[in-house]
Amino acid sequence: MEQHRNVYIKSATQISLQEPLSERWLESPVWPKDRYVRSQNPDFRSWLSPLESRRMGNLMRRALATSLSALAAATIEMPGAIVTGTGLGAIENTEIFLDQLCREGEECRRPTHFMQSTHNTVGSLVAIHTKCHAYNTTYSHKSVSFDSALLDAFLQLRRGITSTALVMGNDELTPSYFNILTKAGYVGLPGQVPAAEASVAMVLAAEDPQEALCRIDDVGLAYGALRIDALPSEFDAVMVGYNGALANDTAYDRLLAALPTKRPVLHYKHLFGECYSASALGLYASAHVLAQGVAPAMLRRDDGDGALEVRRLLFLNHSGAKNFSWVLMSRPENKEL
Amino acid sequence: MKDLVTELKEKTIAVLNLDEMKPEDIGNDDPLFGDGLGLDSIDALELIVMLEKEYGIKIKDTSAGKDIFKSMNTMASFVEANRVK
Amino acid sequence: MEEPIVITGAGIVSAIGLGKAATLTSLLGGRTGVGPVKYLRTAHTEFPVGEVKLSDDEMKSMLGIDREPTTRAALMGMLALREALDEADLLYNTECGRRALLSGITVGGMDKSEQHYLDYIENDTANEYILTHDCGATTEMMADRFSGFGMVTSISTACSSAANAIIMGAELIKSGRTDIAVAGGTECITKFHLNGFNSLMILSREQCRPFDRRRAGLNLGEGAAFLVLETASSARRRGVRALAALCGYGNACDAFHQTASSEDGEGSFLAMRKALASAGLEPADIGYVNAHGTGTPNNDLSESRALRRVFGAAMPPVSSTKGLTGHTTSASGAVEATICLLALRHGFLPANYGWREPMEEGVRPVVTVTPAQLRHVMCNSFGFGGNDSCLILSENV
Repeated sequence: MEQHRNVYIKSATQISLQEPLSERWLESPVWPKDRYVRSQNPDFRSWLSPLESRRMGNLMRRALATSLSALAAATIEMPGAIVTGTGLGAIENTEIFLDQLCREGEECRRPTHFMQSTHNTVGSLVAIHTKCHAYNTTYSHKSVSFDSALLDAFLQLRRGITSTALVMGNDELTPSYFNILTKAGYVGLPGQVPAAEASVAMVLAAEDPQEALCRIDDVGLAYGALRIDALPSEFDAVMVGYNGALANDTAYDRLLAALPTKRPVLHYKHLFGECYSASALGLYASAHVLAQGVAPAMLRRDDGDGALEVRRLLFLNHSGAKNFSWVLMSRPENKEL
Repeated sequence: MKDLVTELKEKTIAVLNLDEMKPEDIGNDDPLFGDGLGLDSIDALELIVMLEKEYGIKIKDTSAGKDIFKSMNTMASFVEANRVK
Repeated sequence: MEEPIVITGAGIVSAIGLGKAATLTSLLGGRTGVGPVKYLRTAHTEFPVGEVKLSDDEMKSMLGIDREPTTRAALMGMLALREALDEADLLYNTECGRRALLSGITVGGMDKSEQHYLDYIENDTANEYILTHDCGATTEMMADRFSGFGMVTSISTACSSAANAIIMGAELIKSGRTDIAVAGGTECITKFHLNGFNSLMILSREQCRPFDRRRAGLNLGEGAAFLVLETASSARRRGVRALAALCGYGNACDAFHQTASSEDGEGSFLAMRKALASAGLEPADIGYVNAHGTGTPNNDLSESRALRRVFGAAMPPVSSTKGLTGHTTSASGAVEATICLLALRHGFLPANYGWREPMEEGVRPVVTVTPAQLRHVMCNSFGFGGNDSCLILSENV
């Protein structure tokens, strides 16, 4: 059965509405005000020649920039696995193809848009770029897409099947798809955090705490209901995805109420917005909070004020109050405060 | 013939998003694929779509692309000989 | 030594039939389900397709579904799941261990999106379908149809999605995360990917001919299949029959191109090698290979080269069954694993429908259904982006 190799997050990078490829948001965040905020793109020429990027939309450029940055930060050239999560995949290309199909009929469609509409485009792109023939897969399941990818990588590392893994979460949002998702009541509700985009890459490694941001102690997915009282209870804060929408927030209220012991509550979507890969940004933020051992006051959702010392964190996420995920993570042993 | 070559260069740059290139950067006999401009099989498919839309030329067999898209000059000769608009 | 993973149930629907019995009859009789398009409303009637011979309404009535928004992929998936769960004694028995559902899917609810997309933008009358667009929505419709799933997720690696779902299912069992994994995939034909494959110029205007010299592309198919996986001891404890073992699998990336396979088939070669290693088998142990064999010039050459690199001169019997089912894309890994299961249990080599002439450097496939005592069979599934996977099924010992 399960061997117990320790799993660490060696590096974690993001492109979001905050300053890209940076942790500056921990000190001076962007406070988003609109209902829909797109990511800030870095200058992609550091990673891609114009010839290489000629067919790539935002999603692919961002995925490549975050993953190559994460690999460089972890000083790993080629990961032992590439596992990707995305809720909608390359929705920009999908929409262009779909829109033309619906408006102009079935003639002469452009292959590039179709080719990049599949959800595994990103995982494949990074593999091609790093010439990585290792295990490569993609999860696409609403708001637990990244969480599913994380679980897959975690289990492989834990069981010694691989010793490093690149785990990604990527979603983009076009203006028209924002409008469509608003009609469906997923984003854009009054009082809700902005609809946003997310590109996150992290490098995980087994038995390698050197310079790690944090250790991942466990990851789980639960469908239907999450028995939070059955989870390990040694943690000193909970990170959740409140987003200002009643149904979403009520599900977190219920989970927190079921905790055997009350703990300080942290949140992140007020800074990063909502999208199907938002949990990847939440986990990224949690990893950096643990790396510095302190959650800044702006992440606190509870009554307490001021920065909060954090050594062990429970990360909770859900999709439609139906599909739940949790991650238990802690400061690595060599990073005692 | 010269004008058609320039026109094709402009259209190729546009359809393949070769943003930072100008028509004069592509030599008339430069190889477009492999070591030349570095285009690949998907670019060939995009060019096939472009020829159909712009010149009404239908190409049903992708392997024909290899000869047609050797260089801007070969593409221009093919368009000249086969265009219906 | 890890405990063997066994298959205790399987369900299938494709162009060659609903259920394993009908599928077996079509396989043994060499009857193709590929033909002129009938159910999909498309202008592209020049491309033969392998449609499931049931309308959405017919499937809904078979399943007792009334008016709630349901995708075609979900309907086919429910039919396949029902058969698989029933065989494994899980349909009415929801209290026998933790169970997970892993489904491979790519175009998801696109069948509804392409009908209602302009309405989403311009009107507000079909909004209930907006949130059925994504992959996860179809999977959850299926999960909610059958109670008892405590873990549910979707895998999307294009045409190897279902194979990767089966691999994830086995991994979840081996790591103690679930007792039972129901894994496979579902995909319906949509105008979206019919036009997409057409834009890549890889659709054949005739019946497809995998591994034939004059092969001219693939025929799109659709369908769903799911396998019930658990440990041998779990099957014994529950008193259900193990139909076969899932004794090995491999996943590797070609890392070559977004849609084309490399010339030497590096990714598929590595996937087959990994599968053999994880099963503890030698190439000579494999009695049959169900090839990915789509019928495109590129895939069949690349796969033939990869097969030669794995098996050398001692090539086992190989066939592609896509001439019968069409290419069921995201579902193909599970559809063809179920075909392999039938081949193992009923002792025959499925035929490579549509083949006439050998291709240069190509494998020479099995062309007539042949009786064979099989112990280990290999099933290849390769996806866009070079996501290549391979499963090995073995007779149960």
